[in-house]
Amino acid sequence: MPAMLSRREPTDAGHGRTADTAERARALPAVPVALVLGGTLLAALTAAVAWGSTSIPAAEVWGVVWRRLSGEAPRPGTNDLIVWQLRVPRALLALLVGAGLGLVGTAVQALVRNPLADPYLLGISGGASLGAVAAIVLGLGAGGALGLGLSGAAFAGALATFALVWAVARRGGGFAPLRLVLAGVAIGQFLSGFTSYLVLRAGDEQQTHSVLFWLMGSLGGATWELLVAPAVAVPVALLWLLARARGLNALLMGDETAAGLGIDVARLRRELFTLTSVLTGVLVAVSGAIAFVALMVPHVCRLVIGGDHRRLLPVSALFGALLLVVVDIVCRTAMDTQELPVGVVTSLIGAPALLYLLDRRLGSGR
Amino acid sequence: MRIDIEDLRVAYAGRTVVAGARLVAAEGEITGLVGPNGSGKSTLLRTVYRHLRPSAGRVLLDGTDLREVPPARSARHVAALPQERETDFELTVREVVAMGRTPYKRAFAGEDATDRDIVATALSDVGMAGHAGRRFTALSGGERQRVLLARAFAQDPDVLVLDEPTNHLDVRHQVELLALLRAQRRTTLVSLHDLNAAASVCDRLHVLHAGAVVASGRPREVLTPELMAEVFGVRAAVVDHPLTGDPLIAFDHRDPAAPEADRGPDGTEAAVASGTGPLGPRKGWRKEWRRGRRSG
Repeated sequence: MPAMLSRREPTDAGHGRTADTAERARALPAVPVALVLGGTLLAALTAAVAWGSTSIPAAEVWGVVWRRLSGEAPRPGTNDLIVWQLRVPRALLALLVGAGLGLVGTAVQALVRNPLADPYLLGISGGASLGAVAAIVLGLGAGGALGLGLSGAAFAGALATFALVWAVARRGGGFAPLRLVLAGVAIGQFLSGFTSYLVLRAGDEQQTHSVLFWLMGSLGGATWELLVAPAVAVPVALLWLLARARGLNALLMGDETAAGLGIDVARLRRELFTLTSVLTGVLVAVSGAIAFVALMVPHVCRLVIGGDHRRLLPVSALFGALLLVVVDIVCRTAMDTQELPVGVVTSLIGAPALLYLLDRRLGSGR
Repeated sequence: MRIDIEDLRVAYAGRTVVAGARLVAAEGEITGLVGPNGSGKSTLLRTVYRHLRPSAGRVLLDGTDLREVPPARSARHVAALPQERETDFELTVREVVAMGRTPYKRAFAGEDATDRDIVATALSDVGMAGHAGRRFTALSGGERQRVLLARAFAQDPDVLVLDEPTNHLDVRHQVELLALLRAQRRTTLVSLHDLNAAASVCDRLHVLHAGAVVASGRPREVLTPELMAEVFGVRAAVVDHPLTGDPLIAFDHRDPAAPEADRGPDGTEAAVASGTGPLGPRKGWRKEWRRGRRSG
């Protein structure tokens, strides 16, 4: 990642004012960047399916996928089950969740007009976590469809929190950015207190372990059924946001400017808050609370291709997808004995990357 | 196009800030709004570019109540340059100016040749054509203001609404910006702190005080020593500008005292300390304010 970013700054920008290139916000045009990201994503998906405890040749991976998609019977003696029932859903879940986090981060940063905001700032994931942890510890939704029960509880927690933050932050038909953030942070902290209490109360070691794993984010629960909700929500959100890309751009310049450009700011904020909350709820429900991706992805993309949402939204989705597919490969293969939670790796990569970015940015005469 | 503001009342954060203002911005003229801090200039302008809704009264655009027009539609006629200057996001100068096309675009629509022409013209009108690829946040204050003005031009509006456009600019940039406005020959409604600038660029002035228009007319008719004392609480003489012949307001910067009428019984200092002198809230101001609140 640092290699990719270093291209946008000349080696010795000094004060940006003097070196013209340093002032160019967009060093790289969006379409080639998107193509490169898309190609890399395909390669990463292949690797995600091929690599693991059992190594499978790339040709066989695509052979299985092709046979499944064209409805042919799986060839005996192949790794059909591992590929199709385990690794493909997991890789696709990583793709969808990563893309979704990229989108939701971009949208929330425009919603509260802060390039360092993320959806967890608005408390939604805190509510989803509480829902999920309550399901694990108190045994709600236990039984046959534990996976769906857990996701359902997480999503319900997200929606309940959304309603609560809405009620607190709403004022005069709209949301002031600061008010929304404060309400979200306060309510999120409040809920995480409950979550911690439930974790302490967890009966046995196994429960504690699954709670912690869930809180840090994991794609281990991937099944084809689990893919349905994000497979609907993420593309819908992308289209919805793209349709309002100009409104999002206008919000960056301020509410008054946006109003002067004919945007119904209060309504746009209500819609954005609703969309980001539902999407966050869906993502957290299927993958837990994965840290840093939603914060970092739009930020990186903005630095590389600029802030215009018509380009930023699709590129953030692509980069988020790529990042999470790659991170999940690391999580599955880094240790022989057990998997790492996704959130551990995203934090370990994300925090230094972000610091590096901020440093570049502040160093460029800003 | 012209703007008619009729008995406008605006409550903002629970207070009535504009209390029955009435004014006209005539076709092709530069109409100035002047008044002390807190007199309601910005709030009034915000209702014209529809950031705020009137609590009573109307804003008419060529006779049509703005509230009967969808916001995206009226934004094709009215472009705003608000005071806010915030953005931490990575936008280029060109992207900022291209935002002016927002009210003309449907969802998913890209830029067409017309948009590109208009954006290019707007950029060259403000002398920023060579800076299209620069980062907006890397610009100086004067450059930013010109870019934001270009964004307003790119809206291809009939009416320009500008809130203190010369704030934070040095003299040269102030003069340049006001010259640009004059060259536009569009209906312009502008609030200005600098009374001398207002006197030389505006065709007509409206003086706001405690949310109401207390004087209207040509600059020479409006900007009198009496008004300076009464509304702004300062001593001033009005003379002819030696270069332009415009009215020139020469303030007495040594003695802030307003005329005897406003002075406290114990002289200036005591009056200031007790909040009745010219540096404190003016006498009668609270009463007017309360009146505004009650009826709003």
